[in-house]
Amino acid sequence: MKALDYTGTQVNYFFVCRRKLWLFTRDIRFENENEYVQLGRLIDEYSYPRKKKQIEIGKIKIDFLDNKQGIIHEVKKSRKIEKAHIWQVKYYLYWLKSHDIEHITGEIDYPKLKKKEAISLTEEDIKAFEDIFAQMKTVLDKAIPPEIINKPFCKKCAYFEFCYV
Amino acid sequence: MYIIAVYDINTETREGRRALNKIFKLMKKYLIHIQKSVFEGELTKAQFQKMKLEVMQIIDPDCDSVIYFSSRDSRWLDKEVHGLGKDTTDNFI
Amino acid sequence: MKQPLYLFTNSTVKRKDNTLRIETSENKIDRPIETLSEIYLFGEHSLNTKLLNFLSQNKIPVHIFNYYGFYSGTFFPREVYLSGHVTVQQAAHYLDPEKRITIAHKFIDAAASNILSNLGYYKNRGREIEKQISRIKTIKKQLALAPGPMELMGLEGNIRDLYYSAFNSIIKQNYDFEKRVYHPSDNFMNAIISFGNSLVYTTVLSEIYRTQLDPTISFLHEPGYRRYSLALDLAEIFKPILADRLIFTMLNKGELSEKDADQKLNHCYLKDTGRKKFLRKYDKRLRKTIKHKTLNKQVSYKRLIRLDCYKLVKHIIGEAKYSGFKMWW
Repeated sequence: MKALDYTGTQVNYFFVCRRKLWLFTRDIRFENENEYVQLGRLIDEYSYPRKKKQIEIGKIKIDFLDNKQGIIHEVKKSRKIEKAHIWQVKYYLYWLKSHDIEHITGEIDYPKLKKKEAISLTEEDIKAFEDIFAQMKTVLDKAIPPEIINKPFCKKCAYFEFCYV
Repeated sequence: MYIIAVYDINTETREGRRALNKIFKLMKKYLIHIQKSVFEGELTKAQFQKMKLEVMQIIDPDCDSVIYFSSRDSRWLDKEVHGLGKDTTDNFI
Repeated sequence: MKQPLYLFTNSTVKRKDNTLRIETSENKIDRPIETLSEIYLFGEHSLNTKLLNFLSQNKIPVHIFNYYGFYSGTFFPREVYLSGHVTVQQAAHYLDPEKRITIAHKFIDAAASNILSNLGYYKNRGREIEKQISRIKTIKKQLALAPGPMELMGLEGNIRDLYYSAFNSIIKQNYDFEKRVYHPSDNFMNAIISFGNSLVYTTVLSEIYRTQLDPTISFLHEPGYRRYSLALDLAEIFKPILADRLIFTMLNKGELSEKDADQKLNHCYLKDTGRKKFLRKYDKRLRKTIKHKTLNKQVSYKRLIRLDCYKLVKHIIGEAKYSGFKMWW
């Protein structure tokens, strides 16, 4: 898989759980069945009804774009896996930059917490991505899925029953 | 969770009558209609949340009201029917 | 959790106001689409393509039974959880004889174990079934030596014969139950067992449908041999848990009797009253929960089937060895 063929979700999952990334990429998915995922989607759908328009460009799906200010928005439920959210948005910025769409910044919105966080893409981030993509490839090239990570947030994950049964 | 939803929609205006109709149709997708403006049934948290959000888009908070009673389990709820009493929530028809 | 809907009264089933409407000669009944898992149709019903499209959108299968209560087929919404990787690996496990027998063996091993649980339960209640138990235990030990699915099916047949021969001791009422007869059932006991088995089959099929497994690629039964053969494979494990236990209890308590069946010249089938009584208990049993050992939470009996599907996927992708669900109570 070429670097820019990844979706934002895959980059996100790389930071959350490599096992989830492996399974998800092979279409072994449970997102549709999970209560927390469904609640998350609702927040996404109903929090910004007027501004909201999901945009699909190539492999990436951006929650919504503030055209005037050049900000892409990503809506999330909680800050528990913040690092993954941040890199997901950074990836969108990276992807856009690689396609000559520049001067864009990002923002993660937490409507339930009434908080937001500005995200930008630095030179270091761009370098870091090369390493991230290489590591993602290593994970995905494995013949069998990576081990269970045994974290407290596993319990709320859509993959919980599959992993722990 | 087990939900009982009741509503009171102001039908003096045309918008109100339209909202009444919409609420009725919306709730039928999630719950079982048991009396004129009363619905009941078992929902997951996500289903309940979705229904509430959809209801909010229809009603006018200044003149309509919707009330939800919820219980973690229907076992903690006694039900008694007088008059026309058939179990209308049965999943055997 | 979404729940099934069972329709017995002849009706027209429609899509109305984006939900389900059932019109009988007396009533118009609405049922919420959002909380529906599947529909079972008994008796005569009319439905149109508008409804089928609607059910397909909402991923709701429809199981259809004929006048005699025999399963005739399922309407399946378009596949939703396909994974090329899993399908390829599943086929690979079928094509390699060694890999195939490994899985097939696990199905029968779990089925035998659940059969023994049932028998053990009644032995503890004073039934004279020691002979069947010890013989089944002996056969169970030979399962691992079976060179192919054919031999495995043979041993499975022996276990079943012994199991059924214990039924006369388990059930207090005196039914003439010599041996299992299929298509059509010739007596009351066979009629109930057939009905129970077809329900387990449909339940398993609905669960497989919600996973990445391909229901047509099976390991114990030959693929293509009648219906969705993977559902037949997994049903072996769950028949003793979901159907047989129920049959024993209902007959022993007199909740079901020969009055609920119609005996024709050479075949016997459950009447509407019998089907309804059995299904009500079956539906309740599916919702019953137990505390799962590794998940450390309450799961329903129905969910156990899904979990076994997950275990099978994990086996197929090379992650963890599958072993079928075994009752520990």
